[in-house]
Amino acid sequence: GALSVTMPFVKVQKNRAYFSRYQVKYRRRREGKTDYRQRKRLCAQDKNKYQSPKYRLVVRFTNKQVICQIAYALVDGDRILAQATSKELPRYGLKVGLKNYAAAYCTGLLVARRVLQKLGLDDVYEGNTEVDGEVVSTEYDKKMYFVEEVDDDKRPFRCFLDVGCKATTTGNRIFGALKGAADGGIDVPHSEKRFPGYDRDAKEYDADMHRERIFGGHVGEYMEYLDEEDNQKYQEHFASYIAADVAPDSLEELYESVHEAIREDPKPSEKSQFSPDKSFKRKAKITLDERKARVQAKKDAKNAELEAEDDE
Amino acid sequence: MPHSYGTRARTRHMFAKKFRQHGPVNLSQYLMNVKVGDYVDIFANPSIHKGMPHKGYHGRTGIVFNVTKSAVGVRVNKLVNGRIIEKRIHVRIEHVRASKCQKEILQRKKDNEAAKDEARKTGVKVNLKRTPKLPKAGYFLAAPGGDGAEITTIQPLPFSDLV
Repeated sequence: GALSVTMPFVKVQKNRAYFSRYQVKYRRRREGKTDYRQRKRLCAQDKNKYQSPKYRLVVRFTNKQVICQIAYALVDGDRILAQATSKELPRYGLKVGLKNYAAAYCTGLLVARRVLQKLGLDDVYEGNTEVDGEVVSTEYDKKMYFVEEVDDDKRPFRCFLDVGCKATTTGNRIFGALKGAADGGIDVPHSEKRFPGYDRDAKEYDADMHRERIFGGHVGEYMEYLDEEDNQKYQEHFASYIAADVAPDSLEELYESVHEAIREDPKPSEKSQFSPDKSFKRKAKITLDERKARVQAKKDAKNAELEAEDDE
Repeated sequence: MPHSYGTRARTRHMFAKKFRQHGPVNLSQYLMNVKVGDYVDIFANPSIHKGMPHKGYHGRTGIVFNVTKSAVGVRVNKLVNGRIIEKRIHVRIEHVRASKCQKEILQRKKDNEAAKDEARKTGVKVNLKRTPKLPKAGYFLAAPGGDGAEITTIQPLPFSDLV
């Protein structure tokens, strides 16, 4: 028959029965964006705490920026209290390196100050103005709070880190954002175990190493190294840094000034008016015949090309 | 008389997940708002093994008397040996649904209060009673052969005429 003799009979796995019985996973699981096991434990509130919201610090990384949000879950969807992205950092003076560890720290700091200002807690809980990489915690009323001082009237804003689908390896940028938020004054339970500078074998934490990373020390070192070793690569790789006049030894000052600027004015920028382009009209979908004709045209063009090559 | 009386005896179908509804529990189930005094349906979720109600309570409705961290205490009526006992069971929220049994009553209460307010304002009397389903009203049937056709009426002959 038409089948090749060498191929054994293989049962078609994805037949009608398969499709009619198939149960899809949750949509966001199919998209690989949400870990529902983690989400349930993060968002669900104890029943004897009734409707008080459980806030979480959501940290996500895209290829170009860091996004930090303070979110809480409701039945008809999550609500966002405050958001900060590293695309807002140029407003505070940081124009390059918007997805490195230092930028993650800045974004975490920004979202924390923003939320505290929104809730009126920004004077009560100033957080760590002197960044030293140490983990701060106080005991108050038999509970552990991760702020320096707990005010008698107003308890700190408590949030839980939502890591998403990322692996929580030591030194991950997620923890940079976490540190920024914690230093900003919100109470996020954490330990130093996953900060850069934690030695797993010795079980010791080197706060200075973490501090260096917060101020882009590792970036500066690499810049200097490349500058000496392979200047051309340095020019390519750090082109935007050079264009923005950022030198390896000025990184620490730069980040300090950014932190200060953030603390001064964490308010989100005004929403720009969006006026849609009225003349925009979506193109109609092409029909099946048109689609097939397109494919055929591409095939013919390719064949003609190959023939021309053969002739040569 | 069955030979085994285990807790999950004879639950082959009751504790089976519905078609294509296997897998994790929706987060909205965990965000459900339950207070003491709420009416609640007990509906076992077989994928959550903790805090599962006994099969006898599956489908029962009760009132919440206690709320703990991840469970809810429900007062349920159980028929035992000819009398009804009020039983108190604790059940995880995955096995519980907010009951809609009171929904109509509460809605009617609200509507009645609104209607009463209106009546007080306008002076128009209002009947708040529900009326049961009354028999169908009479109606005219279209004649089968058209409007002017002759309608034949048939009736059974009395027995004496047949003999």
